Amino acid sequence: MFKRIWSLAAKEFLHLLHDWWMPSFMLFGGVIELLAVGWATSRPMTNLPLMVLDQDRSAASRAIVTALENTGTFAFEAQAPNMAAVQDALDRSKVNAAVIIPPGFDSKLASPTGRPSLAVLLNGAESTPATAALRAVTGAVREMGQRIALRRLGLDADEFAGFDASLRVWFNEALNEAFYTTPAELGLMLEFTTLLFAALSFSRERELGTLEQLLVMPFSSLEIIIGKSIPTILVAFSDFVLMLGAVHFVFGIPVRGSLILLLALAFGYLLVELSKGLVISVVSRSQHQAFLLVMMVGMTDFMFTGYAAPVESMPRVMQIVANVVPAHHWLTILRGILLKGAGLDVLWPNILALAVLGLVIGTFSLRYVRRALD
Amino acid sequence: MKGNDSAIVARGLTKRFGNFTAVDGIDFEVRRGEIFGFLGPNGAGKTTTIRMMLGLLKPTAGTVEVLGVSVSKHPEKIRPRIGYMSQRFSLYNDLTVLQNLRFYGRAYGVENDLLKERIQDAIQMAGLEGHERTRTKDLSGGWRQRLALSAAILHRPELIFLDEPTAGVDPISRRAFWNLLYKLVAEGVTVFVTTHYMDEAEHCHRLALIQRGRLIALGSPEEIKRDMMRGQVLEIAPSNTAKAVKVLRAAREAGRLPIEEVAMYGALVHVVAPQVKQYQEAIAAELRQANVEPGPMAVIEPSLEDVFIACMR
Repeated sequence: MFKRIWSLAAKEFLHLLHDWWMPSFMLFGGVIELLAVGWATSRPMTNLPLMVLDQDRSAASRAIVTALENTGTFAFEAQAPNMAAVQDALDRSKVNAAVIIPPGFDSKLASPTGRPSLAVLLNGAESTPATAALRAVTGAVREMGQRIALRRLGLDADEFAGFDASLRVWFNEALNEAFYTTPAELGLMLEFTTLLFAALSFSRERELGTLEQLLVMPFSSLEIIIGKSIPTILVAFSDFVLMLGAVHFVFGIPVRGSLILLLALAFGYLLVELSKGLVISVVSRSQHQAFLLVMMVGMTDFMFTGYAAPVESMPRVMQIVANVVPAHHWLTILRGILLKGAGLDVLWPNILALAVLGLVIGTFSLRYVRRALD
Repeated sequence: MKGNDSAIVARGLTKRFGNFTAVDGIDFEVRRGEIFGFLGPNGAGKTTTIRMMLGLLKPTAGTVEVLGVSVSKHPEKIRPRIGYMSQRFSLYNDLTVLQNLRFYGRAYGVENDLLKERIQDAIQMAGLEGHERTRTKDLSGGWRQRLALSAAILHRPELIFLDEPTAGVDPISRRAFWNLLYKLVAEGVTVFVTTHYMDEAEHCHRLALIQRGRLIALGSPEEIKRDMMRGQVLEIAPSNTAKAVKVLRAAREAGRLPIEEVAMYGALVHVVAPQVKQYQEAIAAELRQANVEPGPMAVIEPSLEDVFIACMR
């Protein structure tokens, strides 16, 4: 039995050796993707182009633009001659934000009863920069308002002790975007690699016409499944270790919890995705079809991982569905171990959920694939 | 030779896909040590039958025993004892000759020392010395076919199934392939082969003709020619072959000539009828009337192709 399994696994490795593109994509595609995402998001949002329509042309209007620039979030792009120019620049996505300073801004600011106002337009089509811009504008304006209030009260900044929240961010002290994006991408890349690789295992042989030959040979269906899975498991797991190394050493993503636990759970999760991939593989008539199915399943899972939008803010139904998506629990576990140093005591509900889902999916997959092969 | 001398016994073998009956209650036996040809036009149910005998498809009704074992009950018991070579794709194109053979050997559990020896034999048999490290996709069709056969018999099966093994291969390669089959049969292997090459069918010990899922003839090529031919064959070499066929068919439709079949064979025309000799004059007259010179005529021994076409009508 082991000899037969080995003969099949050896053949699969030969395919990998001959078709160097596929395994190298599997091994390094994920790493390259992670490096790109990490670099792109490792800095806070800065230098968003800002347009100014200054209808006041005063010292105060210049001060507010300087204050906005000093947040670091914005880079002054251009003065707008009129409102149409602002509209045009936003339409063309040339700027992310525009400040409109109305006439009389300076005099209202100076008068003790004046209510100076300011219009800020943000490009909401790109929501992440818009959120960063909103935060920066709010901060700058509040600070300026506070200074005005102090001046009107005739107080010194040192004499004033206002109310301020003391903010501290845990787990990602510098609010580095890469701490959020790279672990999530790492988890998702493991899913995609495993799913795709497993999905091609039988669909490839079916497309080439060799599956029939395999089924006529004295392999039991279980032997075929194991022999075919060994290369997938090895490649996907190596890919995970490589990707983990990349995010750890390049972006300093910490592994605050147990590395052993992380690797063990990654292996377990990989088996769950392998089961899904094998079902896709026997359902598909061609590699092409298998690939499209993987994209569909992967994209659906992606929605429920909470990477794009937090699961907690999804509609109730979606939240319930998220619980039966293995990738959802896997990402919670991955973030927990990497960033929070969480262990079994904290993560057990997710691990249990993953185990139960794995058992159900695995059992179904094994029965389904065996039936399809017999 | 073992006690039971039937390699395959099919009884009432039937396969339906929904409303479509692909194989309709066929019965046949294949004796050990013979080349059994399975003939039929495309879509007649040849591949479906093979798939049932291999245990890849469950029959809707009927039974099939291969090497004395019921296929539907114990497919795993038969697999190590049979070999299978499918229409085109039994080899992995991205693997080399040697890698393909090794995979086959190991999958069937052939021990290392023995495997080395047999791989040597196989390469020699396929005429692939010096090409051991060539990727299979770079081999020509004939070589690939011979390699596939060598791979399929690496574990020395008692029975091999060949599904249109020589489709798309040149005549010389086909001849070489059949020589290999004769060698195997001489060693006691049973061969079950599907084909639609009539010259190949003549080389089989026994034949089964299948049409629309039904078995319409069974026996040696000679028996089939004798029993299935409703009449004699008159070979004509007219001046205009196409026109001659048209004229004779029209005469048959009009009831002027009581002939069964008119078919074109290259530049020749074959006319089939019982006692065809007595219509020779009438045929010549019909042709002359249409300005076709009848040319030489002779009653000939029917070929399998004549029988095949007569049966398929």
